[in-house]
Amino acid sequence: MRWWCVAVDEPWSWTPRPYLGVWALCLTVLGGYAITALRRRGTGSGPSTRQVVWFLLGVGSVWVASDWPVGSLGAGYLAAVHMLQYMLYTLAAAPLLLLGMPEWMLEGVLRRTRLRGVVQVLSRPVVAGVLFNAVLIATHAPVTVDTLRTTQLGNFALDMIWLASGFLLWLPVVSPIREFRARSAGARIVYLFCAAALIPMIPGGFVAFSPQPLYATYELAPRLSPEGPSALGDQQFAGVLMKVGNVPIIWAVMAVIWFRWYESEQRVSLRRRMERSLVGATAPASGPSARPGNDDAARTGSDPSGRVRTGAAD
Amino acid sequence: MLESMSATDAPERSESGPPSPESESSVVPVVVGLVVAGLVVVALGMLVAGSRGAGPGEWAGTILGSEQRIPDAVLTDTAGRPFDLRAETAGQTTIMMFGFTNCADVCPINLASLSAALDELGDSRASGVRVILVTVDPERDTAEVMRRYLDRFDVDFVGLSGTPEQIAAVQEAANVPEAQRGESDPDGGYQVGHASQLIVYQTDGLARIAYPFGTRQADWTRDLPRLLDGEIPA
Repeated sequence: MRWWCVAVDEPWSWTPRPYLGVWALCLTVLGGYAITALRRRGTGSGPSTRQVVWFLLGVGSVWVASDWPVGSLGAGYLAAVHMLQYMLYTLAAAPLLLLGMPEWMLEGVLRRTRLRGVVQVLSRPVVAGVLFNAVLIATHAPVTVDTLRTTQLGNFALDMIWLASGFLLWLPVVSPIREFRARSAGARIVYLFCAAALIPMIPGGFVAFSPQPLYATYELAPRLSPEGPSALGDQQFAGVLMKVGNVPIIWAVMAVIWFRWYESEQRVSLRRRMERSLVGATAPASGPSARPGNDDAARTGSDPSGRVRTGAAD
Repeated sequence: MLESMSATDAPERSESGPPSPESESSVVPVVVGLVVAGLVVVALGMLVAGSRGAGPGEWAGTILGSEQRIPDAVLTDTAGRPFDLRAETAGQTTIMMFGFTNCADVCPINLASLSAALDELGDSRASGVRVILVTVDPERDTAEVMRRYLDRFDVDFVGLSGTPEQIAAVQEAANVPEAQRGESDPDGGYQVGHASQLIVYQTDGLARIAYPFGTRQADWTRDLPRLLDGEIPA
């Protein structure tokens, strides 16, 4: 039995072939999460139900991407499934795992591995965006795919590199540690658009519009069925996936960020209007804020006596 | 060497004192930036390097030790007509392979690569190439089955069959090992082990190069025009 998927010179079979390494990895991660969460159970700071669900979905995405049949098909038969695997790791598993982790949990991991400083630098939007796309290009170069896909260790390395690059991509957006996130909603939207939607269209175009199959692994693989797509057709579909397959996820996330930002702005605006009206109703007629046209006190949040009020944070 | 380095380094360290937290924190982004830049360069280099393949001027196929004439045999095509190999291919570039329609890997991949390469060459050039599949499984590969199978790749591909003795003689003349029928599975199906290379006979009826399994579409599109132009593989 193989422990991880690998390209093989065998006709495709729909007989299930689970990979032990995938199961061991998923169970280890789940076990570690459960033990860490249980230790915090008494303190009231354990993961919320929503975080647990996110984390389970994240591990589930890793399992689907790595195990039979997606792992096997992506390793040695179809370039389109190879691309689907990449998307599962970077656009599903990575953000879900991050969303499932409480801040203290990620802090603990980074403290133990002494990686906090490095991760903090890597999570800067420009660095994360450039690195994510460098990994995207490097791991889809024909020489990389045709080399790594031939061994179980190579496939494992490829999968883990993709997962790590997915973490990089999403740290500035959904990191449990607030200081790793991009400072404003606008920055997060621009970052996501450039790093995950715009730049991947360029290598996606190379793959989609290449006149010949780029990857020997998939060109010389036994076809799944005589009626199935040709090697070039399969590759073109893979290229299209790379170009626009991320659109539903990235644009949905950008929309959520924008609507949340809009809602918070609305709340702030409403609060200011209420504060202004309260100030107008309670200020003495001789006070400075009672003068017509003087909205400064209301805008800055200072009360009539000149003291600065501390409003609720957004 | 180490001593001299220490000697020169020491006063500098004493003058500048221990590194401040600011200078330490400014080193990390620089190092990470350099690593990121290096990775980008490597990634772009890998993209430009493209896929593996023969270099310019080289042949993707294997040069044969000696020239081989196309077998002198008469087989039967998918229309049921006699097909004289020498007479029918005279003056044409002919690519011949042995295989069978139930083949799960080698045959469909070889034929698909060749078909795609011919498409890329264009009709005017591709019309100068004749592709022949000689079945090594005449029992199951009837004329109708072969025609249907080949039409999936190219309607102009020629399928030939004959008696087991005729097919064995053609394999011997083409200098490839004789196909071996494998054991039957419970469903009655079986595989046939056969030579996987594609032999190219040029317009003079002589083969000087054969292409092993694994020859890619890019290899064919580079080599075929040269062969069609009469270049002698050497």
